[in-house]
Amino acid sequence: MSSPSDHPAPPLGVIHDIGYRPYAGPRLGELSVARSLFVTGLRNCYGLGRSTKSKVLPVLLFVVMLLPALILVAVMVQARLDQQPLPYARYAMVTQLVISVFVASQAPALISRDLRFRTITLYLARPLRRSTYVLVRFASLAAAVFVLVAAPILLLYAGGVMADLPIGRETGDFVPAVVAAALLAMVLAGLSALVSAVTPKRGIAVAAVIVVLLVSFTAVSAIQGIAVEERADTLAQVAGLFSPFTLVDGVQVWLFDGPASTPAPPEGAGMGILFCIVTLVVIAGSVGAMLLRYRKAAAA
Amino acid sequence: MSVIQLDHVSRWYHNVVAVNDVSMTIGPGVTGLLGPNGAGKSTLISLMSGFLAPSAGTVTLDGQPLWRNPSVYRTIGLVPEREALFDYLTGRQFVHANAALHGLPDPSAAAQDALAVVEMSDAQDRAISTYSKGMRQRVKMASALVHDPSVLLLDEPFNGMDPRQRMHLMELLRRMGAEGRTVLFSSHILEEVEQVARQIEVVVSGRHAASGDFGAIRRLMTDRPNRYVLRSSDDRRLASALLGDPSVRGAFLRPQGGLDVEAGDFGRFAQMLPRLAREHEVRLLEVSPTDESLESVFAYLVAT
Amino acid sequence: MNPTIISLSARAVLGRRRGVMLIILPLVLIALAVVVRLLAGEGTGPAETVLGGLGLGVVLPLVALIATSSVLSPEIDDGSIVYLLAKPFSRHTVVISKLVVAFGCVVAFAVVPILVSGLVLVSSHAQLAFAYSLGALAAGAAYTALFAWLSTLSRHSVVLGLVYVLLWEGLVGGLLAGVRWVSITAWASAIVEATSGGEYTALPHLGVSYALVATLVLTVGLTFLAGRRLRSFNLTGDE
Repeated sequence: MSSPSDHPAPPLGVIHDIGYRPYAGPRLGELSVARSLFVTGLRNCYGLGRSTKSKVLPVLLFVVMLLPALILVAVMVQARLDQQPLPYARYAMVTQLVISVFVASQAPALISRDLRFRTITLYLARPLRRSTYVLVRFASLAAAVFVLVAAPILLLYAGGVMADLPIGRETGDFVPAVVAAALLAMVLAGLSALVSAVTPKRGIAVAAVIVVLLVSFTAVSAIQGIAVEERADTLAQVAGLFSPFTLVDGVQVWLFDGPASTPAPPEGAGMGILFCIVTLVVIAGSVGAMLLRYRKAAAA
Repeated sequence: MSVIQLDHVSRWYHNVVAVNDVSMTIGPGVTGLLGPNGAGKSTLISLMSGFLAPSAGTVTLDGQPLWRNPSVYRTIGLVPEREALFDYLTGRQFVHANAALHGLPDPSAAAQDALAVVEMSDAQDRAISTYSKGMRQRVKMASALVHDPSVLLLDEPFNGMDPRQRMHLMELLRRMGAEGRTVLFSSHILEEVEQVARQIEVVVSGRHAASGDFGAIRRLMTDRPNRYVLRSSDDRRLASALLGDPSVRGAFLRPQGGLDVEAGDFGRFAQMLPRLAREHEVRLLEVSPTDESLESVFAYLVAT
Repeated sequence: MNPTIISLSARAVLGRRRGVMLIILPLVLIALAVVVRLLAGEGTGPAETVLGGLGLGVVLPLVALIATSSVLSPEIDDGSIVYLLAKPFSRHTVVISKLVVAFGCVVAFAVVPILVSGLVLVSSHAQLAFAYSLGALAAGAAYTALFAWLSTLSRHSVVLGLVYVLLWEGLVGGLLAGVRWVSITAWASAIVEATSGGEYTALPHLGVSYALVATLVLTVGLTFLAGRRLRSFNLTGDE
């Protein structure tokens, strides 16, 4: 029935017990958080856990990376070759465009988005230190690139083993190539993550990463080509420091005596050590720079 | 005189129907487009501003179609919901650019006038990236007003405004409506629509649920009782007299004085009350409806 | 063409961080040209590598991509383009005005640097430098129109454009000769070959008239298509 609008005070409120209990049990520590963030990041780089549209490009690129390896194995088997048509360590250089596109498209998706839409504050509100977040993101990206680079090399190795190539020799070539793949993954991940962290808008980040990777390689190979012709060997070798692909290639040539993909791999101890040092500096430096960048990000 | 006409308009996208057979006429004055989130208000405004084509039906402004017809923008001012503006410009540069794009003969003067109307003249030389949400809304309004349009479409204009800015915008909209412009704004907040628009169009789940003066809509639902608070010189006498009339369902004497009356047939009650009071020599001091608010109308509509 | 849109877009491209990238690319090109000139002296071989490989193949498409996507994509993405579209003139005007700005950037940051690099590399045969600039001009126009149209299609236009440039023009174009009929770089090379007085030998024969016509058709056609897509621009609420 109707009731006047000035009733006496309503009865005191009561909270009903519907069985809700706060969680008071043991909680996993930061390591678990980091691990699950790492796995999620790695999966996201391949579109797993994201929308269907974002699966297209990484899967396409992965397939394009594997195709030449498949063809090479087929050729090797058919023609009964007694060695790999393309040495393991040279595969990355040949497919570097594909790797570059992968890195350029996934690094911003992994890193720029959290910064732009400020979801980083959600991550940091958990028991996850800022430095852990940065390192884990870097690790996810590096792992994703490593998978991309190493999978075809593994395929070549498997094909070679099944084609009865001498296992000892093949393994001796395979392992350094995998190590080089890991180094390359870390260098690429570091550089692209740094660029992505500095440019929050995804579109520019993609363009910026490609600019860095593509322009550096084209410039370096142009200089190396001309310098070799002009017998300016030192210059040619030093130029190799300025592109991630040539840098890592140089390291694996000097360290493991692997096959060279550039016309001017480092020769001699001094140059070789320089290449190794620069590689480490690039990796550590980009991670360090990212840590610095993220120090502002959470507050910004 | 600019009239927007929607005639059996539907809009679907794959198998999601955003707007379902809506027909309405938006004429001069302030009209509120009311509905819960996801009801299709933004879709309707996009349809009316020429940024969406109807899948069925026609949308016209004074008989002219709005889709792919850039010349209608001479008479339409649009304040979209999305926040993005040209952040790197100052407020004045932005409004000036809009004026220039409309081909106005004196864009700077028009920009200054528009900015003065929305009270942004002080902040006009700061970059838009430094503006608060309410300031951005006002700059958007200025850009929509700068060419003196006869139709104003505003999508959720009160979003993010503080009470003072809200009052100011409401006053502005009322004034625009009084000048004879056709003003349509959408909202899901009942108080806002209630205070500015007397004419409302209610949209629920893509369907046109009700249209008209909200009081009139209310009256159409006679099976839901109306409630009034009466104060008079003799409440008890009035109460017993009222209970004798079939349009009254109940009367309650309030402890602090006054009567709570629940009436079934509002029309009859309104006619009967003064006559009854006169007959029994009771002086009426106050008659106010207690629930003729949009809230109750809306809740009723949504519940069905 | 609308002067207000032109000035707005120019401010959008040049005044932000993207402007930095636009300057870095030509600087790298010119620096490289200087280094190569110092190393190798004058020579058409190195000139071809630098101007053709880095200039036409990398710097030009990247500058076109960055310029075009700066001018169109962000505004379409966040919806602020509605302020340009809710105006009483044709949407084609909007596209053309923005393309004027983008093409202007391409000329300033790619075509002119290519010319300069060419002059640095082979100062005695200026014709080669001019030939490359003409090729760059044509390819720049085609790229600009292509990326503009991509911007109106999808929010991922930058990635799509990159995939096109790198995989189609770069990889496939290098591998399969038949691609040259539909490759902007190949058309540009044909123009270079024709105007350099035969000093530069390009891919298997591709007539310069075909190249010119193809470039023109692509540029005009895609610009028109981009305008048409804008005519059907849908303003959605906050997604």
